[in-house]
Amino acid sequence: MIFIWDRAKAIAQKEIYHILRDPFTLILSIGLPIFMVLVFGFAIEFNVKNIRLAVFDADKTQFSRRLIDTFSRSDYFVVDQVNSPEMAQQTLMSERNRAALIISSGFQKELLAGRTTAVQLLLDGSDNSTVAPILSYLTTIQKMVAKRLVDFDPPQNVNFKTRFLFNAELNSRWFVIPGLFVVIMTILSLLLTALTVAQEWENGSMELLLSTPAQPLEIIVGKLVPYALLGLGSVIFVYIVSRLVFDIPFRGNLSVFGVGCILFLIAYLAQGLLISILTRSQHVAMQFAIITGLLPSQLLSGFIFPIESMPTFFHYFTMIMPARWFMVIARGSYLKGSTFVDLWLPLLILAISCCLLLFFATKKFKKDLEI
Amino acid sequence: MMAVSLLRGFFRKEFMQAVRDSHMKFILFLSPVIQLFLFGVAISTDVKNVRLWVKTYSQDYVLQHVYDRSTNSNNWFVPATTTKNRDIEPFELLSGGKIDVAVVPPPGGLTQAIGRGNADLQLLIDATNVIQAQSVELYLKNIITSVSGQDLKITPPENPIALTIRVLFNPTLQTTYFMIPGVMCMLMCVVSVILTNISITREKERGTFEMLISAPVSATTVILGKTVPYVIIAMCDVPLIFLAAVILFGIPVQGSLLILFVASLAFVCSCVAIGTLISTFAKNQQQAMLGGVLFLFPAVMFSGLMFPLENMPLVMKWIAYLDPLSHFLSLLRNIMLKGGENNFIVLHVGVLILMAIFFVYVSFKRFKTTLE
Repeated sequence: MIFIWDRAKAIAQKEIYHILRDPFTLILSIGLPIFMVLVFGFAIEFNVKNIRLAVFDADKTQFSRRLIDTFSRSDYFVVDQVNSPEMAQQTLMSERNRAALIISSGFQKELLAGRTTAVQLLLDGSDNSTVAPILSYLTTIQKMVAKRLVDFDPPQNVNFKTRFLFNAELNSRWFVIPGLFVVIMTILSLLLTALTVAQEWENGSMELLLSTPAQPLEIIVGKLVPYALLGLGSVIFVYIVSRLVFDIPFRGNLSVFGVGCILFLIAYLAQGLLISILTRSQHVAMQFAIITGLLPSQLLSGFIFPIESMPTFFHYFTMIMPARWFMVIARGSYLKGSTFVDLWLPLLILAISCCLLLFFATKKFKKDLEI
Repeated sequence: MMAVSLLRGFFRKEFMQAVRDSHMKFILFLSPVIQLFLFGVAISTDVKNVRLWVKTYSQDYVLQHVYDRSTNSNNWFVPATTTKNRDIEPFELLSGGKIDVAVVPPPGGLTQAIGRGNADLQLLIDATNVIQAQSVELYLKNIITSVSGQDLKITPPENPIALTIRVLFNPTLQTTYFMIPGVMCMLMCVVSVILTNISITREKERGTFEMLISAPVSATTVILGKTVPYVIIAMCDVPLIFLAAVILFGIPVQGSLLILFVASLAFVCSCVAIGTLISTFAKNQQQAMLGGVLFLFPAVMFSGLMFPLENMPLVMKWIAYLDPLSHFLSLLRNIMLKGGENNFIVLHVGVLILMAIFFVYVSFKRFKTTLE
């Protein structure tokens, strides 16, 4: 069996016409990466700010006003004055506010008398993601207020010198955009491949292709190359935007990152091919591609939700997902400046899963032909 | 009467088609429950299993206590599986990805330094994950302050302004309470949009849709006959998903089931309407699916499941208002966790119904133009 490039090229050319002709594929393959980079780049902010705070002030003294003022002058809170404690709670029910501050009367008197005074805070626990940051802001504000009102500023035993490494300003974009490679490449390689190859099976045109002199391998290569190119194109696009528009540092080795990209791309192309051979129906192939590729690449790859936070079972379960390993390579290469030595394990696993998926896909493909 | 029996015929056909296919049965009934379970268990932004490394000196019992307390008390920190050799450069451990946090006291150890009165303690935190880094810093500061105070018998004066903090609706801060409604609405949306969209396009592709049109039924009946069954099929999934959420994760349902049902119905209607609209653009199943993904992807992103909507710029917030998922997710959280607030429910259910009507109207128009 000889591999003839011209045949593969002809099939690839046909596939490219297919993509160009179909507006949906075109939008998906070019529009979606652009859309995602822009949305994730401009919209995502994990640092919670402008938390709407209902305030009920029963004291109405200079001290209580200065307390409220400290809240509103911090960047974190937007004050919404209400008329009763019940109303404060009501605004939490109706999602108007996320937190409520209730100052009882006698606040200033107690403080001036040198006694400890309690201020009540109600937090909306239904939005878990804001509670933790609010709690941390509150400690800071508590200290500021005590200093401003009664000049309470005890000496600290320990001076903390915190250094946030790799992302000193805790910029959300630096965290999210390197992870986008994984999500975008999953869509372009896995989803599109699974779909288009399944379509050939469903239409019966795959049988037709197979009856031509073209070898199975040539058909596979011809079908996959255009999607590989699309995937690589999106990688280059995201890289350029991340560097030029969002100014994210790339501290690692470009060639290590490139190898990682290619391995990941091949793994997912092979997985898409395997899905399409196993299901042979676009409908089912799509669902499988979403369940085994798209959702895990967003939810189980460590993109937003850290793998360390998952139960132990998932620490091992996610190991079979190429997306998880490529995430380590992408973040490591961008932010940590990881070298080949640091990344040998993810690269090795990607290479292994690449080989396995390719092996199964071609084996299944051949076996199906012989029946 | 005629219309009702016609619709019943449509429904029987669609339902049989859906359950005849074993793949479809799986996708419709088993896969949402499995996914709810998997994602519900797996995803959270809680801080857990952060690998902590402390540079220890032999006499430094304060820092040793800090290390023991933080690695034993809960599952925030785990000991870094690396050598305790103190000559090792912590920065290298961090950049090599072997540890996540390093605590470096001044030479001689923290205990001595506090005694001398100049205890500069370095916290080196891997901030690749920005969500985690801040929480880790706060937690470490608190535990170090309290342990060093206890060990060295330094009682810091009490802050005269005490904060009494009460967390409402989810006092134990269970992450699942927050995440599960998000996963639920994502799954419901995927099932209803994809199902409708694909089934209609399949008919179009196979030419059976043309046959329907040539049958003596009005365009309205065809549209209703093709959409109502999917609303019903998708609504069959709703109790399944809710039961799974309540039984598997113990999510409370504070509000009334009736309101929950109405809200789900409004949401499913709007999703089916969107699925129908996508199918009017698609020429074949492949396009239909791509169209489905093109909708689902941004819809999930703007739903508030992955990141809070409140911090987004105004333009992005407006996009989120156009997303049925964002309305349904806030409805679910409000009804399930808070018991539901009337005005809020009326507003968002109203928006969902308006969306459903709008999308059905547009797809009706588009169908009519293709038919004529």
